[in-house]
Amino acid sequence: MPLLKSTAITLKSRKWGEADRIVTFYTLRYGKLRGVARGARRIKSRFGSALEPFVYCDLNLFEKHNDPLYRITQVDIRETFPQLREDLALMSAAARMVNLVSAVTAEGDPSPGIFETLAGGLRSLQDNNDPLLTTLLFQIRLLGQTGFRPVTDHCAACGKEFPAPHPPLSPWGERREVRGAQFSPVSGGVVCSPCGSRRPDRCLPLSAGSLAFLQQALHLPASLLTRLRATGQVRAEVEAAIESYVTVVAGKRLPPVDFLAAEGKEPVYGLTRSPQVSL
Amino acid sequence: MGVDQQSLLFRLIRELVRLPGIGQKTAQRLAFHLLKAEREEALRLAEAIQAVKEGVTFCRRCRNIAEGELCEFCLDPKRDQTKILVVEEPSTLYAIERSGGYRGLYHVLLGALSPLDGIGPADIHAQDLLDRLKEGETQEVIVATNPTIEGEATAIYLTKVMKPYGVRVSRIAYGIPVGMDIEYADEVTLIKSIEGRRDL
Ligand SMILES: [Zn+2]
Ligand SMILES: [Zn+2]
Repeated sequence: MPLLKSTAITLKSRKWGEADRIVTFYTLRYGKLRGVARGARRIKSRFGSALEPFVYCDLNLFEKHNDPLYRITQVDIRETFPQLREDLALMSAAARMVNLVSAVTAEGDPSPGIFETLAGGLRSLQDNNDPLLTTLLFQIRLLGQTGFRPVTDHCAACGKEFPAPHPPLSPWGERREVRGAQFSPVSGGVVCSPCGSRRPDRCLPLSAGSLAFLQQALHLPASLLTRLRATGQVRAEVEAAIESYVTVVAGKRLPPVDFLAAEGKEPVYGLTRSPQVSL
Repeated sequence: MGVDQQSLLFRLIRELVRLPGIGQKTAQRLAFHLLKAEREEALRLAEAIQAVKEGVTFCRRCRNIAEGELCEFCLDPKRDQTKILVVEEPSTLYAIERSGGYRGLYHVLLGALSPLDGIGPADIHAQDLLDRLKEGETQEVIVATNPTIEGEATAIYLTKVMKPYGVRVSRIAYGIPVGMDIEYADEVTLIKSIEGRRDL
């Protein structure tokens, strides 16, 4: 019964049996994993609030032979992100973050970059007043670290380099000569116009400014990311493209980022067939 | 899986196969789904089947389990008609009843909001509670949803939508379980119990 230790962030926590919980974590050392916490729902449980979603903790668990579920033995809280529990907008933004990490990672496949992106994403939600933009940037960055990185420098469908390769963009200025593009969620990025018109699925328009924003969000160092702003058309286009792409990548619609505003609204993009993408 | 558990599972599969349009494979898939599902989810199905067979339904007013139109608490004129205590599940309601510390009415959500699972206000029939407030007799609503992320989301939401009705809305206190050493309480419980302190 090897004992494992890692810092971890709780992704979700499900009731299990009479008084237990099955908890999914993203751990720094082992990637995503699931563990059972015995008696976690009892009032005098030693786990307390440590197994709630969005908790940054030090996790101790052991592996049982032939069982994909670990046994959680001890959890020490490092950060609880209390504000994320007190505001519905922040809570649903954080929910999208952990749901996306859950959807795009496989168990037992560690990526320190994904761990840091998640920790950074939850932190920036805490001290910033635009949870929707923070979540949008988080999603682009997270996808950028997986096999689902949105393609922006060549056609995502046929692979053809774009005729005039986009000049290196200054992070804060949009270049007028950069033309808009079509984003194909099923192809996983920007497609050339012949491919765009041939695709059976719906492509979404990206104006020059939206394409520049997407590229900057993918390429800027993490420390500069908070300076990136998007409003109006750019914001709406990139949000729509990423939301559709996330739906393709996750294979289902994730609960909306803007949980209450989305009540009764039609989905942006419906997906009926399974995506042709893999990790 | 032990032999007994296995034969229990096969019993369930055999029962499912009897249903129209359900083949062996579908029955296995359903049975495994129920086996893996949350206890509550699976039992909700069992409860629903039982309810239609035995006439057990949910109270028209508070959505507690009832044998007629209204549950035993809604029918009892001796209960304090000015207070409503909101719980996620009937089991919580009965735990509170056993404590004997509450004499008002209840409202059962039969669930909780969940931004993580996309369970919204319509899923917990939040409007039913607001409709009760419109009747005007209620003076206080006590939100006794669980201190989990879902219970918190529900409490925040209900507090917001009940505000215009001018009733007093309170949340049950979080705190250190009776008989426990404070030093063993976790950080979130400790902070919440200090925030929720009261004058002596
Ligand atoms: Zn192409
Ligand atoms: Zn009732």
